[in-house]
Amino acid sequence: MLDQYLPILIFMGLAAVLGLALFTIGWFAGPRRPDAQKLSPYECGFEAFEDARMRFDVRYYLVAIIFVVFDLEIAFFFPWAVSLRETGTFGLLAMLVFALLLVVALVYDYRKGALEWD
Amino acid sequence: MMFETLLFFAFSAVLVGAAFGVILARNPVYSALLLVLCFFNSAVIWLMLDAEFLGIVLVLVYVGAVMVLFLFVVMMLDVNLEELRKGLAGYWPIAAVVAGLMVFAILDVVVVKHLGGVSLGAAPPLPADYSNTRVLGEALFTRYAYPAQIAAVILLVASIAAIVLTLRHRPGVKPQNVGEQVRVSAKDRVRLVKMAPEKRP
Amino acid sequence: MNAFSVAAFNSGLTLATPEIFLGLAGCGILLLDLLIGDERRHWTAALSIAALLITAVLAAGVEVSGPVTALGGMFLVDAMSQALKVVALVIVAVVFVYSIEYMRHRGILKGEYFVLGLFATLGILVLISAASLVTVYLGLELLSLCLYAMVAFDRDSGRAAESAIKFFVLGSLASGTLLYGMSIIYGVTGSLELGTIAAAVQGGLATNIGLLFGIAFLIVAIGFKFGAVPFHMWIPDVYEGSPTCVTLFVGSAPKIAAFALAMRLLVDGLGGAHVDWGQMLVVLSVLSMAVGNVVAIAQTNLKRMLGYSTISHVGYILLGILAGTSQGYQSAMFYTITYVIVAAGSFGMILLLSRHGFEADRIEDFKGLNARSPWFAGMMAIFMFSLAGLPPFIGFWAKLGVIQAVLGINAVWLAVVAVLFSVVGAFYYLRVVKMMYFDEPVDAARIDGSPLMRAVLSANALLVLLLGIAPGALLVVCAHALP
Repeated sequence: MLDQYLPILIFMGLAAVLGLALFTIGWFAGPRRPDAQKLSPYECGFEAFEDARMRFDVRYYLVAIIFVVFDLEIAFFFPWAVSLRETGTFGLLAMLVFALLLVVALVYDYRKGALEWD
Repeated sequence: MMFETLLFFAFSAVLVGAAFGVILARNPVYSALLLVLCFFNSAVIWLMLDAEFLGIVLVLVYVGAVMVLFLFVVMMLDVNLEELRKGLAGYWPIAAVVAGLMVFAILDVVVVKHLGGVSLGAAPPLPADYSNTRVLGEALFTRYAYPAQIAAVILLVASIAAIVLTLRHRPGVKPQNVGEQVRVSAKDRVRLVKMAPEKRP
Repeated sequence: MNAFSVAAFNSGLTLATPEIFLGLAGCGILLLDLLIGDERRHWTAALSIAALLITAVLAAGVEVSGPVTALGGMFLVDAMSQALKVVALVIVAVVFVYSIEYMRHRGILKGEYFVLGLFATLGILVLISAASLVTVYLGLELLSLCLYAMVAFDRDSGRAAESAIKFFVLGSLASGTLLYGMSIIYGVTGSLELGTIAAAVQGGLATNIGLLFGIAFLIVAIGFKFGAVPFHMWIPDVYEGSPTCVTLFVGSAPKIAAFALAMRLLVDGLGGAHVDWGQMLVVLSVLSMAVGNVVAIAQTNLKRMLGYSTISHVGYILLGILAGTSQGYQSAMFYTITYVIVAAGSFGMILLLSRHGFEADRIEDFKGLNARSPWFAGMMAIFMFSLAGLPPFIGFWAKLGVIQAVLGINAVWLAVVAVLFSVVGAFYYLRVVKMMYFDEPVDAARIDGSPLMRAVLSANALLVLLLGIAPGALLVVCAHALP
């Protein structure tokens, strides 16, 4: 089984080598003459007003958590689909109940307006 | 075999290094990204243990969704970690004791094999057409069908709770309603009024 | 591990009718609640209460003769599960009745409180009927997730948010500990099913060091869910910080779940290793009785005081469990049920006295209650006397039962400690009674509350008195549940 993943391993190796190589070449070949002015944060010529990291709106969080919920549902769908031949009608019905519970979640999300960005 | 062992140690080394990075990084965003690296390496190790599906789910769910959530939270909270870290160093003796106990317990299991218990024997060799995903699906939708439904209820509760705790409707927002825009017809907007011509005074 | 059969699964579904009905009702009420306006939100409450009562009838109606497992060996119905389910369902219904007015006054009367409450109750039922480590964990998680959300329910309250965060972080830690312990026990015994684990432990694993590790982690998690010292830190903050209706919820039905958790894991699964976990529970029990009763004296906030009081009562419940005899388990079950009834009533009194912009959660707020309403002062006195363990109230029989149980295993020093701390504990309960009867009222407002709430609260108090005079019926139920 594992040999099927060999291309991915080779790909990862290449990616690592290439990434490191580009970094190293840039590090050694590029001119680097830093001074205090160059290293200071730049904000259109002013002193920086605030931290570069801003607070995210809580709505992003809501979108993300709804995404996680349905992503997990998908994670249940994969093994179900692969094994449906073995589990048969029982598996189908079990998934029907499972999916209906998440349909309830979807209807609730939708009616509450959680899927809209105002 | 030799090559696989080597791979295992390589990925484990990156995993342990990244895990240290998670707790030592000063910037919480770096911590989150290093945690992604941890998950990725754990997924590879799972793959090497023939638990294909679990490895893929780890990437799909944790790296793809949960870590996005983490990043949002880290960015949403806007905490100054340096402030929180003040005085943290004072706890190191307790931390060392706990960590020592954990390491001892794990070494006890792995090296001394002291824990004993019911032995199920060595795992039988897997058949050629073995599919981790299929076996998992079979278990999940037969014997474990009842726990799977409870898991669905937990997911439902998670989305209810998220909405209860975070959804706020802002008053005074005027969103675009495409449906109404499409449904509108000329007579709703333009009123033709017949009137007699008026004489200019 | 016998083979899975679809026919057996389907026939087992009839045993799970209460759970199925409650789950469907939860989904139905959630969807119905989307359709009605804010002014008709009490319909959601009424429907939820009706659903709980119907489920209680269904749970009482499931016919079993002896323990039966179903649903792929994940689900267990026995006399204990039936009794605990009925009590939990009725208590949650009572909690909902008490909560409506309070939430209306604060503008937080939302359908989700009831829906989350229903799903939390479903989690309690799943936990009570768990026959496998998987269902134990899932039931507990379902319950805890709902509770975390309910504590933070009042979104404009910073204190509620703070206590929710504490509750969530510590609760997740406890869940992690539970999972770790379960994984060790799975590794040692090779099974997730409690029956198989019990057989493996009986078969000579009781002194296994790995099992001991696992048990220690389980005890930590159980201690946390119960709120036993030294895992009690969340209780005072959560009790004080959350809206009183949520405190009422957290303080009542989940104790039944915690009891079921302990019984399923320690007795059903690890009964053979009683020597190990019994000693650990002794530590938790003595510390809980001591810390709970002593620290409660210093409280000025009634919710916080009742929080510490919970901790001390958990110590007594653990006394019964650690005895390891069926007499001990029965007395612990009796104690849990009676404590939950009394706790629901005491928090109900706080809800009754509160009104718009006034929480009534300081002990002084009860000063001179007798002058304002002799009837409800009497009710509160019944609850306080019962918590203190004075005869002829129900709390007396509960304490007597657990003390007899530890005497039954010749642990005289434990009995002495228990009596000693219950004397210490009597002080702060009686202080509330003294304030109600002998102090001048500082607050002259009329006592409001819907007729339904007054009726249920009165019935609750009278039940405490009645069961105290005639505890036989409940004792028989407990004896039947845990032969």
